Amino acid sequence: MKDVRIDRRLFLRGVSAVAAGAAVSSLAACGTGTSRSADSSGTAGSSKTIVVRNSGGAYGDANQKALYEPFSKETGIEVKVININYAQMLAQIEQGRPQFDLIDNSMIDFVKFAKAGATEQLDYDRLKNAKNTGIPQNLLATHAIGKNYWGSVMAYRTDAFGGRKPGSWADFWDTGALSGNRALQHVDADIPELEFALLADGVPLDKLYPLDLDRAFRVLDQVKGSIKKYWDTGALPGVLLGRREVDASSVWHGRLDDLIKQGQPLAYQFQGARRQSNGWAVPKGTNNLDAAYQLIDFSLRPEVQAHFAEVYPMAPVVPAAYEKLSEEVSANLLGSPKNLATGFDADVEWWVANDDEVTKRWQEWARV
Amino acid sequence: MAAPVLAPAEPAVATAPGSGPGGLRRRLSGRRTRFGLLNATPVVVYLLVLFIYPIFSTLLLSVEGEDGGFTLHWYADALQGTNLDILLATLRISAETSLLSLVIGFLLAYWITRLRPLWAGLVMLVVVVPHFISALVRTYGWIILLGDHGLVNEALVGLHVPGAPFQLLYNEIGVVIGTTSVMLPYTVLLLYAVMRGVDRGLIAAAASLGAGRLVTFRRVYLPLVAPGLVNASVLCFILCLGYYVTPALMGGPKQTMVAALIEEQVMKNNQWNGASAHGVILLLLTFAGLLLLQLFKKAGEARRNRGAA
Repeated sequence: MKDVRIDRRLFLRGVSAVAAGAAVSSLAACGTGTSRSADSSGTAGSSKTIVVRNSGGAYGDANQKALYEPFSKETGIEVKVININYAQMLAQIEQGRPQFDLIDNSMIDFVKFAKAGATEQLDYDRLKNAKNTGIPQNLLATHAIGKNYWGSVMAYRTDAFGGRKPGSWADFWDTGALSGNRALQHVDADIPELEFALLADGVPLDKLYPLDLDRAFRVLDQVKGSIKKYWDTGALPGVLLGRREVDASSVWHGRLDDLIKQGQPLAYQFQGARRQSNGWAVPKGTNNLDAAYQLIDFSLRPEVQAHFAEVYPMAPVVPAAYEKLSEEVSANLLGSPKNLATGFDADVEWWVANDDEVTKRWQEWARV
Repeated sequence: MAAPVLAPAEPAVATAPGSGPGGLRRRLSGRRTRFGLLNATPVVVYLLVLFIYPIFSTLLLSVEGEDGGFTLHWYADALQGTNLDILLATLRISAETSLLSLVIGFLLAYWITRLRPLWAGLVMLVVVVPHFISALVRTYGWIILLGDHGLVNEALVGLHVPGAPFQLLYNEIGVVIGTTSVMLPYTVLLLYAVMRGVDRGLIAAAASLGAGRLVTFRRVYLPLVAPGLVNASVLCFILCLGYYVTPALMGGPKQTMVAALIEEQVMKNNQWNGASAHGVILLLLTFAGLLLLQLFKKAGEARRNRGAA
């Protein structure tokens, strides 16, 4: 009870902070609304502002540093940021007056946005850095465009398994030869990791979807006894591995970088990595389209993409960016040509269509 | 959670023995009573809006079918399959926790009553302070303490205890350790208050009449602190029923408790009806706990009266 109360208090504090933030940014947005209309009728947009939604945190800081600031410097367009969640965005768009001109979010949420008719169809003619630059086709959606890869990979202790390295999900599942505890992601954190089970069972990377649910859960059964914890926060795999509670785990790529730098005997295995992407979409109801397209296009420049990857371990989607990065940095990015071949993209359309059913089944499977 | 449930019930019970409808009307017509009722209006409105209304809307939600209409489908669903397992696990974990925190709380409270006030205050502080630390930090703390390579297991392995290291996390043991540590302040404070009230003269009298330490404890001390024990254990049990954070942090999927299930149903599955049914079941279990408390008290009083006669 004490627990719950403290958490509620923390939660309320968080809510009030967010509310205050939203209030401030809504005031700011109102301000820009008026200045925006003044601009469009008056002089050239030297004091223009664009409001971007992102998820905040370290990711938001990285964007500020590697993207928004250089963009403002070059174009004179000021970038303001708000952090609101999916439901709030949708509600604002449906009311017709979103506080934001551009959404930075995961591609899986953009599928839902497009289904709800909340986002504009993208005009690729206005994005010269997206055309014929080798961005994978599945990131060039009608209503959204990919920006940075992130994903789930395997991680293991290099001092476990008598020096052997788990080279694939099949090795992760082979708790006989590579004995030791495992951890996998809880369904509360993100879409469950059924693909890893299918890969372990020999399904090729390009034949995963539509997922064979019965087979996936059957294979998950085989490893269940060795799974010590289903992690539900991004920091937990690092702690579990660092404290030797488990010898191998799935992890959101990037979360172990600091621990590895500190010299902990941990490593990623990119074979069979599940990629997802953050991207851009334009909400219906914005009257700041030009600036929105300018920022999207700016973010897809190879040098901007490369700079972002140096600041934050999310991978460029533009292949040319990797030519500007060192071998070492590039090797630790999910979108580098080498890693691109050994991983796969989560099929966001399939997941949006099947998420509810799979979630329910996973919950029941885990409890038995 | 239990306190606000009791609060509105008590005045109703207090006014009930107003002798018949005529007596009630006479009493309501008094000037002082009318003034009193006027004063109570804000509280009544407050409770109606923020307490009675949400509870009733939860009740309604729990019997509403997916296409409107009345149904008991959600209750049937909550009381079978894995949902029933979760309910039973919740009851089991709550019972284990209240038992363990009663035993530890009893020993701790007894020890504190024998300490000097300064030391007693310090020990109390040690019992209560961990609860001001954030849940996340506490999780990591528990991993460092109870993990396979944590302090406890390293010590046990060092002492060559057979069977070590034991798995103390991500199973039921982990959850019970965690919830017990959170419950401990409640039991210790409750028992401490009762134990301070025990007249040491009675113990001395028992000893002077030739009772050994064990007999004194069993026949004199235990009956004197029994009301506190009952209160503490029922309170513990009820608080545990609605527990959420610690079981999620320190247990595995098999230690899912009802509160976590409700959260999951609302936040992940957008299933408000099923969540409401679970909420109502939890509320009924709480009432059952309180009823049990009343029965224990009645039984205790009856025995005392019989003893006096």
